[in-house]
Amino acid sequence: MHRRSVIGLIGAAALTATIALSVGTAAAQDSIKIGMTSALTGPYNEYGEGGRRGVELAIEKWNAKGGINGKKVELAMLLDDQLVPDRAVQNMRRLLDNKDLVGIIGPAGSGPTLAVIEMAAADGRPYMNPVAQTPTVTYPTPGKPRPNVFSFALQNDVESTVLARYVAKHFKMPGLVHESTAYGMSGADMIDKELVAAGSIAPVAVESYNQRTQDVTAQIARLQRAGADVVVCVGLGADLAVIRRTMARLNYKVPLVASNGALSIPYQEAAGDLVVGTRGSMVYVFGEDTLNPAAQGFADAYKAKYGADRWWGNDPQRPQIFMSLSVSNAYDAADVLFEGIKRANSTDPKAIATAIEGIQGLRGVNATYSFSPAKHHAIAPEDVAMFEYAKAADKIALKIVKE
Amino acid sequence: MHFVLQLIFSGVCVGAVYALIAMGLSLTFWTTRTLNFGQGSLLMTASVATVALLGAGMPIAFAVLLGVLLAGGLMIVAERIAIRPLLKAGDSMGWVVSTLGLGIFLQGFVSTVFGSQAIAFPSLVFDSLDFVDLAGVQVSSQYLAVLGLSLTLMVAMELFLRRSAWGRAVRAVSHDADAAALAGIPVRRVIVLSFVASGVLAGIAGVMVAQITGTVDPGFGFNLMVLGFVAAVFGGMGNTAGALVGGVSLGVIEKLVGGYVSTAAEHGMAFAILMVILAIRPQGLFGRKEFTKV
Amino acid sequence: MRNSLTFLTRTPVVAALLVALGVAAEFASGSTVQIWSFLLVNVLLAQSINVLTGVAGQISLGHAGFLGIGAYGSALLMKNLGLPLPLALVAGAVMGGAGGWLLSFAAGRVREFYLAMMTLGFGMIFYEVVREWTSLTGGVVGLSGVPSPSLRTLMLFGWRIDPVAYFQITLAVVAGVVWLLRNFITSPYGRAFFAIHVSEVAAGSIGVPRAATKRNAYTLSAALAGLAGGFYAHLVGYLGPETFGLHRSVEALVMAVVGGLGTLTGPVLGAIVFTYLPEKLQVFAEYQFMVYGLILLLSFVLLPRGLAGLLLPRPRFSKDVEALPPPPPVPYTATGTGPLLSAEGVSISFLGLRALDNASVTLGAGEILGLVGPNGSGKSTLVNIISGIYRPGDGVVRFDDGTLTGLPDHAVARRGVLRTFQDPRLVPSFTVRENVLLGGHRLYQQNPLAAALNLPGALREDAEMLGRAEAILAMAGLSHLADTPVRDLPYGDQRMTELSRVILANPRLVMLDEPAAGLSEGELHKLGGLIRHLKAQGVGVILIEHHMDFLNELVDRVVVLDSGKVIYQGGMAGMYRDPAVVAAYLGTETHPGESVHA
Repeated sequence: MHRRSVIGLIGAAALTATIALSVGTAAAQDSIKIGMTSALTGPYNEYGEGGRRGVELAIEKWNAKGGINGKKVELAMLLDDQLVPDRAVQNMRRLLDNKDLVGIIGPAGSGPTLAVIEMAAADGRPYMNPVAQTPTVTYPTPGKPRPNVFSFALQNDVESTVLARYVAKHFKMPGLVHESTAYGMSGADMIDKELVAAGSIAPVAVESYNQRTQDVTAQIARLQRAGADVVVCVGLGADLAVIRRTMARLNYKVPLVASNGALSIPYQEAAGDLVVGTRGSMVYVFGEDTLNPAAQGFADAYKAKYGADRWWGNDPQRPQIFMSLSVSNAYDAADVLFEGIKRANSTDPKAIATAIEGIQGLRGVNATYSFSPAKHHAIAPEDVAMFEYAKAADKIALKIVKE
Repeated sequence: MHFVLQLIFSGVCVGAVYALIAMGLSLTFWTTRTLNFGQGSLLMTASVATVALLGAGMPIAFAVLLGVLLAGGLMIVAERIAIRPLLKAGDSMGWVVSTLGLGIFLQGFVSTVFGSQAIAFPSLVFDSLDFVDLAGVQVSSQYLAVLGLSLTLMVAMELFLRRSAWGRAVRAVSHDADAAALAGIPVRRVIVLSFVASGVLAGIAGVMVAQITGTVDPGFGFNLMVLGFVAAVFGGMGNTAGALVGGVSLGVIEKLVGGYVSTAAEHGMAFAILMVILAIRPQGLFGRKEFTKV
Repeated sequence: MRNSLTFLTRTPVVAALLVALGVAAEFASGSTVQIWSFLLVNVLLAQSINVLTGVAGQISLGHAGFLGIGAYGSALLMKNLGLPLPLALVAGAVMGGAGGWLLSFAAGRVREFYLAMMTLGFGMIFYEVVREWTSLTGGVVGLSGVPSPSLRTLMLFGWRIDPVAYFQITLAVVAGVVWLLRNFITSPYGRAFFAIHVSEVAAGSIGVPRAATKRNAYTLSAALAGLAGGFYAHLVGYLGPETFGLHRSVEALVMAVVGGLGTLTGPVLGAIVFTYLPEKLQVFAEYQFMVYGLILLLSFVLLPRGLAGLLLPRPRFSKDVEALPPPPPVPYTATGTGPLLSAEGVSISFLGLRALDNASVTLGAGEILGLVGPNGSGKSTLVNIISGIYRPGDGVVRFDDGTLTGLPDHAVARRGVLRTFQDPRLVPSFTVRENVLLGGHRLYQQNPLAAALNLPGALREDAEMLGRAEAILAMAGLSHLADTPVRDLPYGDQRMTELSRVILANPRLVMLDEPAAGLSEGELHKLGGLIRHLKAQGVGVILIEHHMDFLNELVDRVVVLDSGKVIYQGGMAGMYRDPAVVAAYLGTETHPGESVHA
């Protein structure tokens, strides 16, 4: 077996032309085909696998309605990149080579997305970005989006604006700490700028840590020494828990205000009772007391198909707030793509992009969407709220902070 | 003053964990001149197993014990399939790759079964809010417990190696395995014992760190393993005092660099130390130079 | 199996395959061409680590660092300074090579596990630097806008390169590099890498300088990785630090290991497997990480010599040239006025024990000297001092009007002082002939470039050396074994191979450490013949030997050592009557005032 598969591999490389040309020969176009590359497996598949489910739910919804202008929708190519940039590049090439694909759903993170985005932009077919928060994915220069790229991620600048406005309003001496990734770095930069814009205050200290760090004593001690009256953090839930616990250990009693990771289950579970008082910014759609009809419909469909699993969260009655960034973002991305194809009544890339740019006031799960030639991102500051953990009657609950 | 004491204290505690890992790595290095490049996955496996057993309703003491023993047991497997068959090759290429492979396999296994997201790890003894006041500095009870346990284990190991028959056997094998075999020492069993002990130390370190951070995930342990390497090389492979001093100095240097220079440089610092030590004093601060006979 | 695939390594077949690949790219889909380009980058990377780890035996867990230096170097030079593609690629390779050269100063001091740690540290430092040096590398956000064929932004002499042309360029360069590497590895320089790999002491004894050779291996390997990095950067058009983390270094090592270390085909096979493996593993869905781990875990046990060892015949380590007839031997005439060798008042101590105590020995050209004494009397130590392995605490060693004391072993060998070891130290995977050719190391005149380009002068020199080697093999009775790897040979043949290696070096002085041990009667006879041949050439010979009958037939004179002191010098017959010698051998008494050493 081993031997034979090895020879097979040699054959694959050496006996070139015969096998190379199988792609791209499909005959009549009897359905609308889209393609996707994402982290379906591997250490970072939370967003990737969630995104796949979102896209499949959207396809089922449209096919149940009879498809797009009578044509069924199909996820014709689904590739796994494990969030590795090289594999994302190879997968994207395969997707772009397939001329039958009408639209592309991109990878589940900034690293691989930055690696493939120029290829996708050069190709010109509609590209939906579900997860990558770095704004340059969509806007290589501010205000000028790539014509075919639309983002359904909670962009860094949007999240930072919300955080900075909140912090500038309530605190005087913020201390920043962020993970040393594209997400953390650019998030911290933008908060810095927004703080100046919102209340002309500057952070008293800015510190960084590596993702999945085990000890942040030095970082927190520096913030404490600098006299920060609030710790503002851009990072993932598990790391926020380390930060929150270190603050407790150092008896550093200031509020923690953080990016969306603060709303994740790893943070809640690992920080336990310490979460009380933590504030985090997040798309608020699943945090409302009563879900809006679109969100409710999505939630019902998800539960019917996949059950109350780890993407759904711990409460079988209600999806967790975080679903808006792991599943329903991709759901909305596919939904808007299909809406664009429908409105364009064509599979021509330019026509679809123009049709999407014409969408105004479309109710999606995460927000009500309006696009324009200058605005290609879906989630705006108005769709994001600050949440706070509060303890009432021995139960910890998340409440939207009323400004 | 408060600031620097705070940094030093946390550096000492973190360093004690590095020392424990370094000690585990040294043990197998003594007996077989090899070590497990998948040790990080053992730290992770022990803590994930502990969480899983706690979730199944097992009492804390049992869950931790079984988790740690699992790490020890896995080292028997590692020695049998990833190290022993490759010692004949004479150079280190084989076991470096195979133990790396074992580590990746364990990571893959855990992420298949438990998912790849961080899993919450409960506070076992103290909470992160517990602290004692030492000379005006607030000292975390969790960190103190970690420090205390690490030091106790290191001292126990040292006594075991010096005083017990098995310990002397380990030293004899580390000195000259062939001569030890001629002297009637069961070399095979001593080697397996050193691997089990190495795994147990790794497992304990994993559980201790997990309850400080509060979460574990499949990638947990890799960084700690690398820092354990650095600590072991820093102090000198094959020397309990060296492992302790190496680990603690590494921890303190890291925190002081983080506190006074830049937290971004904290990580690179460890590797710079590693390279400098290897280049100017490969035997480490406390190691004896190995004498090679022609 | 092996034989049926042999044709795959023939030059015309390889050339035809390469041309077919280049042509096929015109018709293949974009993604196929792209993955072929990734494959070529991996081939270069795997060859790179193979040169260092497989050939020169220096394990590396930091190769992604060199890859990254080349990638960032080439991309930044082109993006910021507008360097044209060929210059940018060369600059990437040079920068990678410079990195390797610098690292070798630190890495050359450590071996095995410590080396693994050091290279791991190097890789991690590179990774941290790329992440933190945001102004240059773009930091964690990465470096976008690198000119790339897939975006049609890569220009070469005003011509816009498309992915197919880029693949063809890469293919031509990689094929050229692998051809150069093949020539280099089968040259004296390549064989020196293998010699260092197996035993640094043995390599030094034939004149291979260990530090310089390691430095060459690091520089060459890192330059290749840098070149791979340059091709990678333009292939993808985006660089991020995550690409150059530890996992990439491990992958590079694993490609070479699974393919087969120490061969040229192995890294190619390994690169093919690990370029296509991720795609093939997708059928395992969430189990693919476990499968990958299992492959690493078991590959060494199941495939100790890699895929190349399983599928393909043993590679050659010398060039395929027609041997030239050897020149007639010309006996030496002494150039100096004094004796050929004189060791005067040599002393050395180990850990407080005096291994040699004021020992003096002289030897003339064409003289055979027996060195006799009980075990531990200092015979091997004296040989080790003369050959430059130990530096004496006191005393001086003169050779042919020059001083050997303080010279490193390879410099001593270069002067023509050669030796054998108690246990033959050969390269096990080499054939007898290839091992013997190693002995010529100090005589080769060709430079590395001529060797890599197979220039006529280099090939002619190889042919002459081969002719001399064949003659010596015939004299040693090894001709019928010339193509057998020495690892498959009995002890006696290995000894004779080692001695033949020394003879090929055209020695002036030869020191043989117990050459007769374990030899049969017939072999003893041949050994005696070879030693007499050396004597006839005017070579001085020192024989450490316990076999007294064997010595009796050969030596002109004996020196007896006991406890590090010379207790007798003179003829064999006188030795048996000397009371001090008798006492030393019987061990019953010591001389007054002399302490006994172990």
